[in-house]
Amino acid sequence: MSAVATPDRQSTGGIISTRTLNRIVIYGLLALFALFYLMPLFVMLVTSFKTMDEIQNGNMLALPKAPTLEPWFKAWGETCVGLTCAGIKGYFWNSIKMVVPAVLISTLLGALNGYVLTKWRFRGHTLVFGLMLFACFIPFQSVLLPMATILGSLGRFGVTLQNATGMSFGLGNPTVNLVFVHVVYGLGFTTLFFRNYYEAFPTELIKAAQVDGASFFQIFRRIMLPNSMPIFVVTVIYQFTNIWNDFLFASAYAGTGDAMPMTVALNNVVNTSTGVVEYNVNMAAAMIAALPTLLVYVVAGRYFVRGLMAGAVKG
Amino acid sequence: MAFLEIDGLRKRFGTVEILKGIDVELEKGGFLVLVGPSGCGKSTLLNTIAGLENITEGEIRVDGRAINDLHPSKRDIAMVFQSYALYPNMTVAGNISFGMEMRGVPAEERQKAIDKVAKVLQIGHLLLRKPSQLSGGQRQRVAMGRALVRDPKLFLFDEPLSNLDAKLRVDMRIEIKRLHATTGTTIVYVTHDQIEAMTLATKIAVMRDGEVQQFGTPAEIYNNPTNIFVADFMGSPAMNLVPATIGGNGSALSVVLQRDGREPISLPLAGAPTGLSAFKDKPIIFGVRPEALTDPEGAERNASNIATADCHIEVIEPAGSDTFAVTNLGGKAVVARLRADAKIQPGTITPLAFNLTKAVFFDPATEKRIL
Repeated sequence: MSAVATPDRQSTGGIISTRTLNRIVIYGLLALFALFYLMPLFVMLVTSFKTMDEIQNGNMLALPKAPTLEPWFKAWGETCVGLTCAGIKGYFWNSIKMVVPAVLISTLLGALNGYVLTKWRFRGHTLVFGLMLFACFIPFQSVLLPMATILGSLGRFGVTLQNATGMSFGLGNPTVNLVFVHVVYGLGFTTLFFRNYYEAFPTELIKAAQVDGASFFQIFRRIMLPNSMPIFVVTVIYQFTNIWNDFLFASAYAGTGDAMPMTVALNNVVNTSTGVVEYNVNMAAAMIAALPTLLVYVVAGRYFVRGLMAGAVKG
Repeated sequence: MAFLEIDGLRKRFGTVEILKGIDVELEKGGFLVLVGPSGCGKSTLLNTIAGLENITEGEIRVDGRAINDLHPSKRDIAMVFQSYALYPNMTVAGNISFGMEMRGVPAEERQKAIDKVAKVLQIGHLLLRKPSQLSGGQRQRVAMGRALVRDPKLFLFDEPLSNLDAKLRVDMRIEIKRLHATTGTTIVYVTHDQIEAMTLATKIAVMRDGEVQQFGTPAEIYNNPTNIFVADFMGSPAMNLVPATIGGNGSALSVVLQRDGREPISLPLAGAPTGLSAFKDKPIIFGVRPEALTDPEGAERNASNIATADCHIEVIEPAGSDTFAVTNLGGKAVVARLRADAKIQPGTITPLAFNLTKAVFFDPATEKRIL
C-alpha cells in the first residue's frame, strides 16, 4: 500500500495544498463572520459587568477589570421604568404570565387543527388550511387598528358582563388581550407545523384506536399528542421566541400601565431621559430580557429526539 | 342463517363505484379470504365490515344483527392491520389492553386478559417493551394479541403477513391457521397472495374491480373457476390458458391446438361439457393446470380421459420438488409439471399427457367458463 502511495503523493502534492488553502480561507471567513455576529453580544455581556466609571473611561471591548453583579441587581430590582423605579422584575413576570398561556393555547389548538385537517377530513379542508396558511403572511402592522377595535369591543363586553354577572372573565384585561392576539396570529404557524407532521402520521393508528373504542379526543390525547414530541418542541420554541420577543403588539395593546410586558419595559428603561444613561444597567436588563428564550432552547432542544415514531409501523 | 352476511353491499365515492353489489356469507367459525389484485376493493370491503368506511347501499349482518350503522367499537370486531398499527408510545401490555381501558374494564381484569393472551401467543417476556424494541414477527404477534384479547365475534385481518419476509410469512401463516383451529373464531382475511388464500380459507371470494368474481371453497375455486380471471389468478404456476378451436365430427369433439411449423395437436374429448358442442369450429380458450400436463409415466392412473401428444420442449426449470417443462402451444408458453427425476431434455420432442378430465374451457368473447 505504501509503495503505491509514495509516488502518488509527489504527483498530487500541489493539489492537496490548494485544498488545504481553500479550507483555511473558508473556515477563516466563517470564523470572522461568527465573530462579527457575536461582537454585540460580547459587548453587552462585558458592559453589564462593568462599573459606570470603567465604561466612561475604558475601552468598549475590554474585559471588566473589577467584575460586578451590581448592574444586574439594579436592573432587576431598582431601575426606573418610566416613573416607577422598582426594576424590571414585575414586567418580567408580566411577560411570563402572557407568554406561557399564549404558547400553550396556540400550540394545543394548532395540534388539534392539524389532527382534524389530516385525520378527520371534511369537504373543503384544503381551503380551510389554505386560509390558515394565509394568516402566516399577514403583516402585523396592518392588523393593529382593526384588532384594537375588536379588543375595544371585547373590553366593553367585559364591562357589561362585569355589571351583569360580577365577573368580566378577563375581557378587557391587557394581558388577556395580548394572549388572545398572539393565539390568533400564532395559529397559522402552529397549524402548519402540526398539519405537516400529522400528514405523515400513520392513519392506521387512528383506525386501530377507533376499533378499540377511543373517542375523538381520546385518540388526540392518548395517541396523537404522545407521539408528537418533536413537532411539539419545535412549535413551542418557535412560538415562545416570537411571543416573548414581540414588541409591536405589546406596545400597541399593553404599552402603558401595570401589564406592560418585558420588551416594552426594556424600551422604557433604555429610553429614560433623566440623568446619566446607565449603560451597564441597560445591558443587564437586555440580557435578562433575552435569557428565557435562550433557556427554552437549551432545555427543550434536548427533546429534539428522532425516531419517536419508530415501531409504530414496519420499519 | 349464516353468521356473517353481506347483502348487496355498494360503496360509492362520488360517482365512482368502488364496490358494486357484494353478496357474501360465512358460517360461524369459518375463515373467509378476500383475494384479488390491488385496487379490486378487497380492503375497502374489509373496512366497511369494520365500520371504518361507510357503505352506500346494502346490509352487513353479524349473528343476525345488522351492524352497518354502528360505530367500529360497537360492532364486536377486532382488526389486525397491515402495518400492525401498534401505538408507539405504549408498551406491549398497554397496546393489548388499550381497547379494554377505553371500555372501562377494571385494571385487575385487564391484567388477567393480558396474561392469558400473552400465554397463547408466547409474548409474555415482551409485555413491558415498546413496539420499537420488537422484531417484525414479534410486532405481528402483538398485533394479533390486541385483536385476540377482545374475544370478538369477528376477526378482521388486513394483509397481516405482507410486511414479513418469506420464511416468517410461512411460519405466521401456520400460526394463524393453528389459532383459527384452536379458538374456532370467525375470520375475514384480506390478501393479494393466492397461496395464503388457498391454504388458510374455508371460503374464498375472488374479487376484481369491486365485484366478486367467484365465491366458494378453495377446491371449487381451484378446480372449477368460473371465468378466465379466476383461473389465471389462482394457482402457482398459473393455469395454462391456450387459444384453441373445437374440432371433431358428430358428438365426438376434440380440442385443436396450433403449433409452430407443425400440424396442430388434436386431443379427443370424452365427457366434455355439453355447452362445448355449440363452439364447434369456433375459437375457445383451453385451460389446463401445469399438474394436469405431465409426462405419460407420471400421469394420474385413474383419470378417465388422458390424451398424449408430442410437444417440443423449449425450456426445463428444475425446481427441486418438481421439474417444470415449457413448451409452446397456440402461440403461448405452456408449463407442464413433471416429477423431479423425470428424464426430459430441452430442445427435444417429448410426449406429454394431458389430463382432460381436469381441463376447463372458456368462451374468449365473454371470458366465462363453458359448462
